[in-house]
Amino acid sequence: MSGYLLLIISAVLVNNFVLTRFLGICPFLGVSRKMATAIGMSGAVVFVMTLAAAVTWLLEHYALAPFDLAYLRTIAFILVIATFVQFVEYLLKKFSPTLHQGLGLFLPLITTNCAVLGLAVLNIREGHRFMEALVFALGAALGFALALILFTSLRERIDRANPPQAFRGAAIALITAGLLSLAFMGFAGLVKI
Amino acid sequence: MLPLIVPLAIITSTAVIGLTGLGCGLLLAMAARFLAVREDERIEALTECLPGINCGACGMAGCGDYARAIIEDDAPVNLCKPGGEETLKAICAYLGIEAQAGEREVALVCCGGHNGLAKHQATYNGIADCIAAERIGGDGKACPFGCMGLGSCARICPVNAIEITEQRLAAVHPALCIGCGACVKACPRNLIGMVPESRKVHILCRSTDRGPVVRKYCEVGCIGCNRCVKAVGKKGITMDGALAVVDYTVPIEDVSVAETCPQSTIVVRDGRKENAS
Amino acid sequence: MKTRAAPYRCAGGLHPVYHKSLTAAAATIPLELPSTLVISLAQHLGAPARPLVKKNETVGRGQPLAEPAGFISAWIHAPTSGKIKAIDEQWTAAGRRATVITMESDGEDRWADGYPQPPLPADADRKQQIDRVAAAGIVGMGGAGFPTHVKLSPPPEKAIDTLIINGAECEPYLTADQRMMVEDADRLRQGIDRIRRLLGTPAVRIAIEDNKPDAVKAIQQALSSLDGDVEVMVLPSAYPQGAEKQLIYSVTGREVPSGGLPMDVGTLVENVGTTLAVADALDSGLPLTERVMTATGDALSQPANLRVRIGTPFDKIIEHCGGTKTPPAKVVCGGPMMGTALPSLAAGVCKTTSGLLLMPQDTVHFFESMACIRCGRCVNYCPMRLMPCTLSEGGEAEDDELLEEYRILDCIECGSCAYVCPAHRPMVQHMKNSKARIALIRRERELTKQRTS
Repeated sequence: MSGYLLLIISAVLVNNFVLTRFLGICPFLGVSRKMATAIGMSGAVVFVMTLAAAVTWLLEHYALAPFDLAYLRTIAFILVIATFVQFVEYLLKKFSPTLHQGLGLFLPLITTNCAVLGLAVLNIREGHRFMEALVFALGAALGFALALILFTSLRERIDRANPPQAFRGAAIALITAGLLSLAFMGFAGLVKI
Repeated sequence: MLPLIVPLAIITSTAVIGLTGLGCGLLLAMAARFLAVREDERIEALTECLPGINCGACGMAGCGDYARAIIEDDAPVNLCKPGGEETLKAICAYLGIEAQAGEREVALVCCGGHNGLAKHQATYNGIADCIAAERIGGDGKACPFGCMGLGSCARICPVNAIEITEQRLAAVHPALCIGCGACVKACPRNLIGMVPESRKVHILCRSTDRGPVVRKYCEVGCIGCNRCVKAVGKKGITMDGALAVVDYTVPIEDVSVAETCPQSTIVVRDGRKENAS
Repeated sequence: MKTRAAPYRCAGGLHPVYHKSLTAAAATIPLELPSTLVISLAQHLGAPARPLVKKNETVGRGQPLAEPAGFISAWIHAPTSGKIKAIDEQWTAAGRRATVITMESDGEDRWADGYPQPPLPADADRKQQIDRVAAAGIVGMGGAGFPTHVKLSPPPEKAIDTLIINGAECEPYLTADQRMMVEDADRLRQGIDRIRRLLGTPAVRIAIEDNKPDAVKAIQQALSSLDGDVEVMVLPSAYPQGAEKQLIYSVTGREVPSGGLPMDVGTLVENVGTTLAVADALDSGLPLTERVMTATGDALSQPANLRVRIGTPFDKIIEHCGGTKTPPAKVVCGGPMMGTALPSLAAGVCKTTSGLLLMPQDTVHFFESMACIRCGRCVNYCPMRLMPCTLSEGGEAEDDELLEEYRILDCIECGSCAYVCPAHRPMVQHMKNSKARIALIRRERELTKQRTS
């Protein structure tokens, strides 16, 4: 049990996908304008990541590995992830059109979100068992959500705070992201696995 | 003839990927069937009419958003700049409306009283925004109808076609104006109007105060003397109380009417020539 | 009757230099009748009044010039006898354009037929008395201008158990209320007695700041004959102690809920001037045609407390006070904290004008407003416990969701935040601007709701 807890803490704080591993920067910068859309994005990522981790793990261990098809891993994984993203899009369009509009282009882009693919590949490389893979995926997704929500609340304030002209928009956002990343470096060494 | 030998690896890989793909496809097909949302097909059709380059010149987030705005918010159909006339025709054909054969309309700021000509009765020390200033009684300009020059229109203009001159007066550059009308809504004093581009005679005043009052605060304000109305024989310029108003539905051919104005409120300006230069 | 210190202390509060010594001891003098009067039809909160007279009509003092145009509106009466010269749009003391009646005085100051009306006996019908208050055109004279008859007729389920007479006068420079309490304490007693009978004899609290010991003494003497639960509350001087909600808290410890009215916590606050006007209307049958105000400031030659007719042009008042010592850089209608800078001196005194302040060049600064530095001083000083810094930034970004979430509509526009802001941000203008915008959005939302339903 404590192993799972450590896995989650390590994925959320120590090896945060966005701020320490620098995966999934695109939605991190793109959907951090408004809290409502950021929360929606986080939810979508949690959903896609956890399910995709489960299915890719099964695919790897029951389809690719027995037939020695490791070289097809990327293609097969992307296929699965793309399906889930499309599925989420259908769900959102049906049940929350405003959120769908707010996420816009970034929703289909989860497909190529390297955090999702990276997680699936990492799960294999680290040799996680099925439950471990699921827990790790949940942790990684929560870590992504944490980073995105923290960053969005910072950005909402910065948008109101009249930075100098040259810093407005992406410039100050990148500086803030850098500082946030530095802050997360402070967690290094908290958990040793 | 070589015997057709298919390596096992090809079969297994094709089968694995093929089956995975099939499974995913089936899942999506079900989702598409059970989670389908009825969308307004007009929006999709209109999006097809637009160039699809998502430039944002219309002021919306992209072509799809503009198509939605046309259907849902009655946005003007002539905002697509890159598409030009062809897009306009396509949109009009789809919506079944007459393509406005009319000419391009551009914004015009109906105030000529810059700081050198209009009197200030107080100094304004507050938020540099016309709407905020108007809510506490203006920017100190004695004329309650005149341009405050704090730039609410310039900030809302999607193409930066409005300039605030050094004398604190908003001026539209007709060549840049895309006729979206955002500034018309933004001006708290309703000073901006849309006028056909080719018209040359304009009355740059919206003060409805009586002549003697106007004279006290502005050197170029309309005093309601009626001379221009007489000069054009009531065709093209009409009186609204103590204010002469250009009726843009009737073209004024003779630009010499401007000379009859004792206050120089009437100006002759050729928007097209300004475009050419 | 007892005198005691106020039991509670409102949030925030600052201590500006009061400058009250300029006029605190100066007895109120009646200003001579001006030849021209400029009477705004938007002197009160709510809908501007509808004019009843025509150009060139001759009117007597007290004759109604305009009638209320809605439930929250008020009558406006001729301040003297004379002839109507014009009815047109002009700048008013409120700093905006409104319909204004200009009249020329004939110098006779003759009352119109039927005025002054006979006094109403103390046991007169409740409705009759409230109607008389309404017909006298009385509005809150502390500055808000809320029609008094509306305040005096709360819905039956909201019983008023405490009547608070506001003599705090926390605005710097102003001493009009102080002088009224010193000079007219007896009439004030009549007014208090009238209002509390109207409301069903609630407890009465007269709140006075401790920098006005002469007023406390005068009120103690005058009110000693009043029986029932009557107390003089002495408040520590702080701004904005005299704001309605802050005063209610200081005196009773009750907090008016967000978006609520004093009647929601069983209280009613009346300004000293309003109480006197009620006494005038009921005991002498006089409509509201004059008020006491303070003409002051370091640029004015002879600062004074004046009894002026409504509609007296401000330049007349300055003339009467011996003109200016130094050229004023800013002329404020009201006090320095909540008053508005006057765009034109030709405007006339309103029912809500408590002062005229002429500030010389060396006390007026042209501020270059800067970005918020997040020092949080405005948060410390805000008497409504809001976050003015966030609100002003939200206002700039037009983030209306945030503004409503941070309760901008609770802002009382006291100006404490602007006073302490080291970045010289025009906080009050931000608040006013955002509040107006949000009110507009709400109205539109309601309209569309009505249309769809």
